[in-house]
Amino acid sequence: MTNEELNALAIDKSVDARGTACPGPLLEAKKAIGTINEGQVMEVLSADEGTKVDIPKWCKKQGHEYLGTVEESGYFKIYLKKQ
Amino acid sequence: MGKFVIGLSSGSIDKLTGAGVMMSGAAADDMEIEVYVLLTAARAFMKGNEELQDSCADYPHIKEEFFKTLKDNSVPTWVEFFEQAAEFTDVKVYICSLAGKIWGGVKMEDFNHLVTGFCGIGQYLDAAKEAELHVNI
Repeated sequence: MTNEELNALAIDKSVDARGTACPGPLLEAKKAIGTINEGQVMEVLSADEGTKVDIPKWCKKQGHEYLGTVEESGYFKIYLKKQ
Repeated sequence: MGKFVIGLSSGSIDKLTGAGVMMSGAAADDMEIEVYVLLTAARAFMKGNEELQDSCADYPHIKEEFFKTLKDNSVPTWVEFFEQAAEFTDVKVYICSLAGKIWGGVKMEDFNHLVTGFCGIGQYLDAAKEAELHVNI
């Protein structure tokens, strides 16, 4: 998906993990995914470079759909769909 | 999704924190975790030693700076990492009976709330053989 498409997604859950270092954002994502339903979209905000790599890999292992990452100034917005 | 086994041979804060970080990753992957606490690591699990910060195995000359950096970056303490992992998956922490004795810990009540029980070295080796992932720190 393009950045424009990602930014236009309807977000069902937003997790702001910018205050935590790796592996905090990954655990925040894991905690939050349990609160949404299949097919819903979650956004994870992280300022941690490792998270940009970890969450797509975690999605693949857990069976969720990684949609993409948008880089903002000083942080990332990582999008995934629960499967 | 398999079992992650850690042989924890160091009670140094940097090693304990490293173990905690890996446990978090394993917990995110729904792996069961077993930690086998050996030799000097057992001291850290003695009741009342949770807050000790008297050991940094790597770069001990900049220990204070390292601890400050962990705090400045909101990195959980090693105890918090262990607790956090247990919120997500099954975590068992076994104290090698010899290691316990070395530090005067011979009963469960000598150890903190993270500890599940005692083990012998054979149990650790069997767990390591059966694990999907095994590290010794």
